[in-house]
Amino acid sequence: MRRFLRLGAVAAAFGLTLAGCGSSATEAPADGGGLGTAEKPVSIRVIANDAFAKQWQDQLVPEFSKKYPNIKVTVDGVPYNDQLAKSMLELTSPTATYDVVLGDDPWFPQLAKTGGLVDLKTDLSKFTDAGYDWGDFNPSPLAAGEWQGHQYGVPVRSNLLLMFYNRALYKKAKVAEPTKETTWEQYFADAPKLVQDTDGDGKKDAWAVGTYFTKDPLTPTIWQTVLNSNGGKLLDDKLKVSFDDENGVKALQTQVDLLKYAPPGASTYQFNEPLEAFRQGKVATMFMWGSVYKGTAIDKTTTTLSEDQVGITTLPAGSAGPGAHRGIWSAGIAKKSAHQAAAWTFLQWVTSKEGEQWVGANLGTFPARNSTLQGTPPAPWLKPVYTAITDGYAAIAQGQMWRPRLPESDAVQQILALQTSRAMSGQATSKDAIHQAAVDISALLKSKGYAQ
Amino acid sequence: MGPALVLLAGMLLYPIIYTVWVSLSDFDLATFQPGGWVGLRNYQAVLADPGFLQSLKVTGVYLVIALPLQMILGFALAFLLNVEWRGRGLLRALFLIPMVVAPVVAGGVWRMLLDPLWGVVNYALGLVGVGPVEWIGDPTLAMVSLILIDTWRWTPFVVLIASAGILALPTDVYEAARSDGANRWQILRHVTIPLLVPVVAAAFVVRWLGAVKMFDIALAATKGGPGQATDVVNLYIYEKGFRGLEFGSASSMATVVLLITMIITYFLFRLTRRLENRW
Repeated sequence: MRRFLRLGAVAAAFGLTLAGCGSSATEAPADGGGLGTAEKPVSIRVIANDAFAKQWQDQLVPEFSKKYPNIKVTVDGVPYNDQLAKSMLELTSPTATYDVVLGDDPWFPQLAKTGGLVDLKTDLSKFTDAGYDWGDFNPSPLAAGEWQGHQYGVPVRSNLLLMFYNRALYKKAKVAEPTKETTWEQYFADAPKLVQDTDGDGKKDAWAVGTYFTKDPLTPTIWQTVLNSNGGKLLDDKLKVSFDDENGVKALQTQVDLLKYAPPGASTYQFNEPLEAFRQGKVATMFMWGSVYKGTAIDKTTTTLSEDQVGITTLPAGSAGPGAHRGIWSAGIAKKSAHQAAAWTFLQWVTSKEGEQWVGANLGTFPARNSTLQGTPPAPWLKPVYTAITDGYAAIAQGQMWRPRLPESDAVQQILALQTSRAMSGQATSKDAIHQAAVDISALLKSKGYAQ
Repeated sequence: MGPALVLLAGMLLYPIIYTVWVSLSDFDLATFQPGGWVGLRNYQAVLADPGFLQSLKVTGVYLVIALPLQMILGFALAFLLNVEWRGRGLLRALFLIPMVVAPVVAGGVWRMLLDPLWGVVNYALGLVGVGPVEWIGDPTLAMVSLILIDTWRWTPFVVLIASAGILALPTDVYEAARSDGANRWQILRHVTIPLLVPVVAAAFVVRWLGAVKMFDIALAATKGGPGQATDVVNLYIYEKGFRGLEFGSASSMATVVLLITMIITYFLFRLTRRLENRW
């Protein structure tokens, strides 16, 4: 009996220890923790995606340190699939391990909902440089870090879905190169000609298109773009499902039809496969994130193509205009950070006019500022890319081309991914898949308290 | 004893209790903690979720085909490797490679091998006029591929256990059987198999416990697709929880799966004991 009591006491102590983990949150100092001195430097930590964390640590941070030697920046990379949950845990924990939190486009509502991020425009205005021009940001990328009227994030790695095309394959097929005016009807009229035998051996060895087709939350972004470019929306202004109609079915069917003109095995294409197919000259067009341009047209270590062979423009147009889809990595600052001033100084530098020029030239990252987009690009090859990005931003703003701005955004994309995959593999018709997705999303939102 | 028990409770019991607690709560994303008590609401939702039920079915199909296949192949290969022949040692060493390859790497590599455009498997099939075969893109073949990859990965484990069991068989029993005039078939049926029953049973239970947790290969090779063709239950739970952030539902599913696994494991233990006693 006594042994059980002792055990109970130890277990109770263990429980109290665990419970104690949820108390006494730290408060950020009023002076923002300062910018450090040579004797007492300030250290800040950044939680980023592992796809670019090393690049930031090895190249971006040393450049920043030239200007701010007393701010030591550590960038930790986290795999994409774990990053949202880890960031949520971080923002809801009593102390801040990370001062700067990066989030992908659809995550910011979830991150902001924790109450763990500061409003960069108002809360940190006292640490904002006089020359830092908020008004210079293009509204499309800036909106990714905004939620319920507050600016919780600033765009640090802007990206959008664009259409890449292989000029040589278009020329060989005797098809006019696409422009931002090219419609889906025109695209499908050209597609059969772009499936061709380029070496004369009697076998097809080049196809029309490579893009996302597999079961993945990013796959539906293709038909979501089609839906938006035809004036449709996933959710209406009251957050009710609004795509279970002819427009939705047509959009999904468009992506399903693309498979007919894609290489064998394209139904499993995610990110790497269409990229590889395009870089090897196997597909004439690719609907892909614009940020891959440098590795596709410039960097000889990753592509067989050259700059003059690769064209870039917006996705084919629907009835309402051309298509694009927003994919912005924004960065926010933790409310519990003891070094908000240093963290904001770092982010201001990265997203300043000067910082964007350096980042564009050295890391190939896309800018979010109009002055950068309209100015002289840091490298000649960026000129057509900046034109495509500018057109893309305009399309995004016009068609509201982004994933749902809700804390449940990822759950919605999961449902869309499953139903898209069913349609792609012939397990369901586009009509049935759209209907099932609508039913499931409606049920999900209803269970979370949204009126449906 | 006390500290060890507390440590065990902390490491083993606390996560289970926490999972059950989350499953009975409305998980609040704002605080990232279980919020209000909702009773069995999550369980009702989960048991009415066709996706979850389909993932249980997919897991059942995978287990019913993959486990016997791995057991039969494993023991057959163990018998082969137990016979003296040249190069046996090299093959034994090679057999261990799939076991030490990280599942994510294995899934990724097999994806490449099975790719209709670039893959060596379709290239080889093409030489005899077959293909290209959509190994991962076709719902039925995707399940076949998943079972093949899993079998490639885990059969060596069964081979290892089976080899140890075969090597430990007492030689005097065989000598006695042969002196009584038993032929090879009779020796296999009346001596080897009865003596190996405990080994087979142990291998099966260990493999069952491993297979029921499978999700990494599916995630890397097929992502559970196309549709839900290879969406094993753990992958479905993972995506609900860590991608969809529906922790209440995911915890309910995990609890249901834990209960099902415990019940089936209990019956498996009883069955193996009965088999051992019978032989």
